[in-house]
Amino acid sequence: MGHLTLRGVRIAVAGRALLEEFSLDILPGEFVAVVGPNGIGKTTLLRAVAGFEQPAAGVVALDGIELGKLTPHRRAQLVAALGADAEAPNGMTVREVALSGRFAQRAWWDWTRGDDDVQAADAALARVDLGDKADRAFDTLSSGERQRAWIALALAQGARALLLDEPTSHLDAHYALDVLTLLRGIAREGTTVVAVLHDLNEAAAFADRIALLGDGRLLLYDAPDAALDPDVLRRAYGVEFARVLVDGEPRVFARSTSGRPFGTAARNAS
Amino acid sequence: MHFVRLAGLGCVALGALALGLFVGGSAIAPGDVTWALLHPHGGGDVVTIVWALRLPRVAIAGIVGAALATAGFLLQGMLRNPLVDPFLTGVSAGAAAAISVAIALGVASAFVPALGFLAGLGTALLVAGLARRGSGIDVERLILAGVSLSALFSSFVALALTRLSQGGAEEILAWLAGSLAGRGWNEVAWTSPYLVAGFACALLAVPSLNVLRLGPNVARTVGVDLARAQWVLLVAATLLTAAAVSLSGIVGFVGLIVPHLARRLFGTDARWALPASALLGIALLAIADALSRTLFAPQEIPLGVLLAFIGVPSFLYLYLRPRGTSRLWGT
Repeated sequence: MGHLTLRGVRIAVAGRALLEEFSLDILPGEFVAVVGPNGIGKTTLLRAVAGFEQPAAGVVALDGIELGKLTPHRRAQLVAALGADAEAPNGMTVREVALSGRFAQRAWWDWTRGDDDVQAADAALARVDLGDKADRAFDTLSSGERQRAWIALALAQGARALLLDEPTSHLDAHYALDVLTLLRGIAREGTTVVAVLHDLNEAAAFADRIALLGDGRLLLYDAPDAALDPDVLRRAYGVEFARVLVDGEPRVFARSTSGRPFGTAARNAS
Repeated sequence: MHFVRLAGLGCVALGALALGLFVGGSAIAPGDVTWALLHPHGGGDVVTIVWALRLPRVAIAGIVGAALATAGFLLQGMLRNPLVDPFLTGVSAGAAAAISVAIALGVASAFVPALGFLAGLGTALLVAGLARRGSGIDVERLILAGVSLSALFSSFVALALTRLSQGGAEEILAWLAGSLAGRGWNEVAWTSPYLVAGFACALLAVPSLNVLRLGPNVARTVGVDLARAQWVLLVAATLLTAAAVSLSGIVGFVGLIVPHLARRLFGTDARWALPASALLGIALLAIADALSRTLFAPQEIPLGVLLAFIGVPSFLYLYLRPRGTSRLWGT
């Protein structure tokens, strides 16, 4: 469970198409990293996959259920989506934040909290290693802990797929590795994970497959080894890439090219 | 722990209502009031005063307090802004304008509360219409529309005041300052369906309100239908405010301050803070009304004026004293 399919999806912002005829298959329990240059439509794609908005055309489905046609409540039982811009709530404990995920599992007007809700929230907090901080005020957590608490909220929701927009963007190396390891573990346990990432090497080190967006389409969708192809990356980002091996695994580094403004030449060439 | 506190608050509210029955412009011995309460058909002046004057008045004080405090709590939570009060949606300004114009035109005073109610609802509807975006409501547009329309309608009040004879102006002013004088079971009866509907919507919105503490994006993630939640919250707040305004005129301050006190005592969880707001609103208004009747009896101090005199200094003390927390939101 947790098979995400996108068929012929068109992503448009203010009438301008960013992605056309976009198709993607994400298998249950897979960790897929979505990468690509700024403004290419990664976040909009993620929002469409989350069912927040209907794609301009095409179908997004989870296990054959078309997400765009569901009520927000039903959709939340299938897909959990964490944006890049979650604000820190005032006056809430970490456990209360995790418990909020249980809204998806109860009628919207239902005040009650069952034992199953508390258990699910506590299990989610234990899973992200915040079990001992459940009673702390949320705003006393560090950035890395906050990101893990948001993931606990999404886990408590009980969804089959977890979508994240730049989950490591504000984190230092230590916390970024921490969160990515956690996400890979969650995927191994059966929840499909899709994350928009900026760091290609983070994607390569942790994701099962990398979806590279560029030129308004899916340039490449493959395992890290094949995905980190300097030629394809140059087409997407408009800068030169050098590929090296670290402990036998591929890593890439961007290099500036002969003083030309980044992006212009390569993107117009294709 | 929270439960015990809430029960305690309930007792305070009941005590405040009882206080309102036992004090008043005419001094009646507590024993006589008790006797009158137990013998509604006993006859005599005391029975009339207690049953026809004090009881409805105390009931209305409680209703107005609960309604405004609840409406304020809902709107502050929905807009995620601690400075919002229930009159933001233009209910009070619309009602005030309609009532001023009606008094200026000499409309019979029996129709005035109902007119205020309808005008309040109509204004809120207009504000909500202007704030619409897609199927939901845009928070910033709501605030802008509410503030602008309120300013517009307030100028109608000023216009009516300058055009009026002495008597009419006094009637409008009494209404603007908030007063429970002369209100009876009649007003309670016809506003009660709207109050019941308002409180029911408020209760339905509590789980959504709790998740909205995390912001609209996270709320949507966990399955809140944002448009539905916003409309339920707005309908609840508007019905409660319009009913309260038509019962008591414009009683400021309760809807702004009481939710803060409730969150301070119970945290931001609406399952506790919302009932706490309602109970605190009842207690505050019942006490304020008792004071307004007795401080300078037989003269009455307008309720809104009295509340501002007590409330503003204590609120400032609470938040602005040197060692106090200046955080308005949260605990």
